[in-house]
Amino acid sequence: MDKTTKISSKSTSGKPIRCRAAVARKAGEPLVIEEVIVAPPQTGEVRVKIICTSLCYSDVTFLNLKDPPASFPRILGHEAVGVIESVGEGVSEFVEGDMVIPIFMSECGECTDCKSKKSNLCSKFPFKISPWLHDGTSRFTDLKGETIYHFLFVSSFTEYTVVHIANVTKVDSAIPPNRACLLSCGVSTGVGAAWKSANVEAGSTVAIFGLGSIGLAVAEGARLCGAAKIIGVDINPEKFETAKAFGVTDFVDSRSTGNKRVSQIINDMTDGGADYCFECVGRAFLVEEAFASSRKGWGKTIVIGVDQPGSQLKFNSFDVLHFGKTISGSLFGGLKPKTDIQTLIKRYMDKELELDKFVTHEVGFADINKAFDLLIGGKSLRCVIWMDK
Amino acid sequence: MDRAHIDESSKSSAGKPIRCRAAVARKAGEPLVMEEVIVAPPKFEEVRIRIICTSLCHTDVTYLKLKDPSACFPRILGHEAVGVVESVGEGVTEFHKGDTVIPIFMSECAECRDCKSKKSNLCSKFPFEISPWLHDGTSRFTDLKGQTLYHFMFVSSFVEYTVVHVANVTKLDSPIPPNRACLLSCGVSTGVGAAWRSANVEEGSTVAIFGLGSIGLAVAEGARLCGAAKIIGIDLNPEKFEIAKGFGITDFVNSRGCGDKRVSQIINEMTSGGADYCFECAGKAFLVEEAYACCRKGWGKTIVIGLDKPDSKLTFSSLEVLSQGKTIMGSTFGGLKPKSDIPIIIKRYMDEELELDKFVTHEVSFEDINKAFDLLLEGKSIRCVIWMDK
Repeated sequence: MDKTTKISSKSTSGKPIRCRAAVARKAGEPLVIEEVIVAPPQTGEVRVKIICTSLCYSDVTFLNLKDPPASFPRILGHEAVGVIESVGEGVSEFVEGDMVIPIFMSECGECTDCKSKKSNLCSKFPFKISPWLHDGTSRFTDLKGETIYHFLFVSSFTEYTVVHIANVTKVDSAIPPNRACLLSCGVSTGVGAAWKSANVEAGSTVAIFGLGSIGLAVAEGARLCGAAKIIGVDINPEKFETAKAFGVTDFVDSRSTGNKRVSQIINDMTDGGADYCFECVGRAFLVEEAFASSRKGWGKTIVIGVDQPGSQLKFNSFDVLHFGKTISGSLFGGLKPKTDIQTLIKRYMDKELELDKFVTHEVGFADINKAFDLLIGGKSLRCVIWMDK
Repeated sequence: MDRAHIDESSKSSAGKPIRCRAAVARKAGEPLVMEEVIVAPPKFEEVRIRIICTSLCHTDVTYLKLKDPSACFPRILGHEAVGVVESVGEGVTEFHKGDTVIPIFMSECAECRDCKSKKSNLCSKFPFEISPWLHDGTSRFTDLKGQTLYHFMFVSSFVEYTVVHVANVTKLDSPIPPNRACLLSCGVSTGVGAAWRSANVEEGSTVAIFGLGSIGLAVAEGARLCGAAKIIGIDLNPEKFEIAKGFGITDFVNSRGCGDKRVSQIINEMTSGGADYCFECAGKAFLVEEAYACCRKGWGKTIVIGLDKPDSKLTFSSLEVLSQGKTIMGSTFGGLKPKSDIPIIIKRYMDEELELDKFVTHEVSFEDINKAFDLLLEGKSIRCVIWMDK
């Protein structure tokens, strides 16, 4: 298949672009590389040429899900970095050629939440697993003219995408693209959860349930915050060796605890419970275990993993009343996309935040389905998919 | 029945058992029985206190009625009080005979990691429990037949003399009247502290309070002191609304008058998206869940204060907890450290910022203690003070 149209003389601006996309056509089946038409950006939108994108488990979940909010055919992908190809009406924040990260969390900058330091949940464009952009329409059609759905306001498994400016942040082009794209979701979510949502104090004890990319990003964040003890809990002991490089100091193999509950083991290891417990898998019983593993008096339990719709968390009323513990959730690590990602980039450029260790594989766009196989097979952390290879 | 003739002036009672009156809970659900009991002298790190007055809290009612398995009878209930130290046990340097003190169900040993931390008021040396004993696992009370009487919440104040561990006593250096001081031993401190300490209510905030009993009203008073701009009170008894105005409540929701709408929906509408802080002060799981539903996404805090049945569960949607930016927490004794924070609250009362008078709606003498129970159960009182010497 031919390579994409070059952006040289604004020849594409205002016109539809025909390019390659990896389309999810059927639940559970490999993505289909095909040509699609990408409409120009409308008011408040930009069209972005994707440089590279990385696979996150949420993409896998929504490829495999049969029922709503799953939608087909869809362009998945939401962790990416690219260059502005053209801007819609009313856009002054970005110009053609800017290097940008698209982000599923919106930041309109105007609503009460965006103006408050306490919240990263934009109320003008709330977080949603929507098949559309904010105006309720799609910019993608296939060659038969059929609408293709968006994903998480981003849709990055395509050479060109259209995104609302509330979902875009500019980045310094000095950061390599295959590091920048990581900040679009997973690493920011984990690092932010430790830094922003939990505000982990130096010297603290932290327990992390689930050592996938998110859990490891939480460990990296906790490490940066100066946590003294970072306990990783997983069912797969093979993850422990890798996790050491992310700051995890102690391990609990949750399938080898015998008669004891994981929380009992953690309480024994920490003399009463961890100061901060992060659930990074998306299982109600693990959130409840995390709560039981947090220290009485001040222990915080933070929910990060995305569970099935309808899943419920149950706690003893007495425990919630009398144990002095807190339960909260963290979406995108509590970060405000436009301001906080800049801080993370700086910390990476200052060699404090380590990103290289997250990228375990790289493939060309034509091999995007290999990225899925690697992740589902538990063999990768982040696999970067390059568009121009 | 004669009053106890204890001649404290010549130290004749120190080191000896005291025979005095107590209101004993002998059977679940039945009125307390006024009888004479024997109160042993204080042991190591304990003090014996002559109670001046005590007030009735709903937790006493709950434990009077409880049948199984947490029920313990015969028991001396009562845990909100003020008294004077009659004698001290070995190893006690913090208190002396004659000190005016408030006994408190929350312990503060001052040595454990929790007591030393600003973040916790949950002493780990003497953890909170509704125990039938003092910390050493024994009782200081026997009836005239020699049968052991159980303690309650480490305090047991429905008696002329009680024995308490020093971790459960705070000295009163202030001329605060006894029928105001006793309130700080539980209910008012719990509510005011929940707003001030646990939630850290900011000036200008919106607060919603589920349940307008004494605790809910104390939360309102605390929120008022913190400068909350809007304090919404929710109750199923609209008669409480008029009184609640005197405690800072600005808006009311009659939870039985909502029609098709849920209470949380009404509050979300009233507050354009939810309250900054929601306090559950009734002890009902569905109300905690309702409170969670109407605290504001992004930063709303839901604080559980009401004591529910032992096996009650709170249920939340996992995705909502993940994505709505809300916090769930509980508050025991308002998050207050008894020995350091109660003096602060007393000062605010003496400076005429914190208002305590409005909490005391009735006063009775000790022999009429069962009237206090009737008044509370009938919803007619906020706090009824029971005076020992009348």
